[in-house]
Amino acid sequence: MVSEKPWRDVVEASKLEKNWVTRIEIGPRLIAIYDTPSGVYASLALCNHGGADLCDGYFDGHVIECPLHQGAFDVRDGNPVSAPATRAMRVFETRIENGMVQVRL
Amino acid sequence: MSKAIVTPLTQALAEGKLTREELKRFMQRSNGPGLRRLALWILLLAFTTTLITLSWNSWLLWPAMFLQGVVLVHHFSLQHECVHYTVFRTRWLNDLVGQICGLIIILPHRFFRYEHCDHHTYTQLTGEDPELIPLPKTLGQYFLYLSALPYWRGKFTEVFRHARGNLSEVELRFIPKVEHKAVFWDARRMLALYGAVFLAMALTGWWGLIWYWIIPLFLGEPVMRFVRMTEHVGRPTVAQMSENTRTNLVSSPMAFLCWNMNYHAEHHYVASVPFHALPRLHEKLKDHIFVEKGGYLAAHRDILRQILRRNPGQKAEV
Repeated sequence: MVSEKPWRDVVEASKLEKNWVTRIEIGPRLIAIYDTPSGVYASLALCNHGGADLCDGYFDGHVIECPLHQGAFDVRDGNPVSAPATRAMRVFETRIENGMVQVRL
Repeated sequence: MSKAIVTPLTQALAEGKLTREELKRFMQRSNGPGLRRLALWILLLAFTTTLITLSWNSWLLWPAMFLQGVVLVHHFSLQHECVHYTVFRTRWLNDLVGQICGLIIILPHRFFRYEHCDHHTYTQLTGEDPELIPLPKTLGQYFLYLSALPYWRGKFTEVFRHARGNLSEVELRFIPKVEHKAVFWDARRMLALYGAVFLAMALTGWWGLIWYWIIPLFLGEPVMRFVRMTEHVGRPTVAQMSENTRTNLVSSPMAFLCWNMNYHAEHHYVASVPFHALPRLHEKLKDHIFVEKGGYLAAHRDILRQILRRNPGQKAEV
């Protein structure tokens, strides 16, 4: 389903950590931006299991792993990959326009 | 601003004990180190199994079974690493090997994962850490714990409770509702598998697994209790990771057996770091953690000193 929310510039694409996760603060929210082999993705940065910051976790391909308990999510759709993650994390539509990473929040 | 919970890792990063670039380097995973160590592990198991065979008709059978047991109980260390996905880069390999380890030592992998999560969240906090081993009050309690009798009683009670479809109050805290049924079925499958193994032995008349697996497992478990005590017992029951956990510097063979889990404080600081990188992480963090340079024996001397200080009437040379 296409979101009606407007695109927001969040960070220059060149400032993303290559093949890794970058932490961005947007207003009251902490957002994780993922640089992956198939493009850029974004999610809420806090793990929905234990509340740890996913941006300090291990990132491999399309899987982000929580640094506290090693639960993992697929950043493309937010689905849990490994326990103790059991619920999908919230992900956002993301694109790169004119060198800027844009997210629909 | 939504805020992440404070963890040992966020503290280490905030205090400059570790930089983000260093963290990234330490966390890098590959399958090679885990597969190589697993191959050596299987060779070691083949060696101790051969010792049992060679000593079958002599009194040497018992020391051989003990040696086999020491290796068998250290499947806990491998399973623990698999829970953290820090043995192999390929995630399903960690799940597969962890499940096999759990079958060997009677510890369902899924249940252990959830229990261990709370151990990392509430390390050494009385009433909250489900793996907390209290400092024994007396020498009698110390030796009773080392006998592994309370451990096995608790373990069997736990597995049968889950097979019956029940969870304790503590377990309800750390196992999400959506996983309750899976935990119950894990226990049932495990018991059914053991039942099938014993039935097969009865039908074939070959009871070898009793001597190669069951008796060694029970003979070896006190060694694992001895090792597990060194991780936190006797350290302060506080939230500070620099205080509540003990890293033990041990010989290479012992580090091999425990998959480097002697670097326990480093592991608690950054649980995403693979086992093979823990010695390097130790070099980075050693000035910020509690290190017992005398290894397991010195850790137990410390524990015994604390017990005897509480009970000046009990005398022992430590």
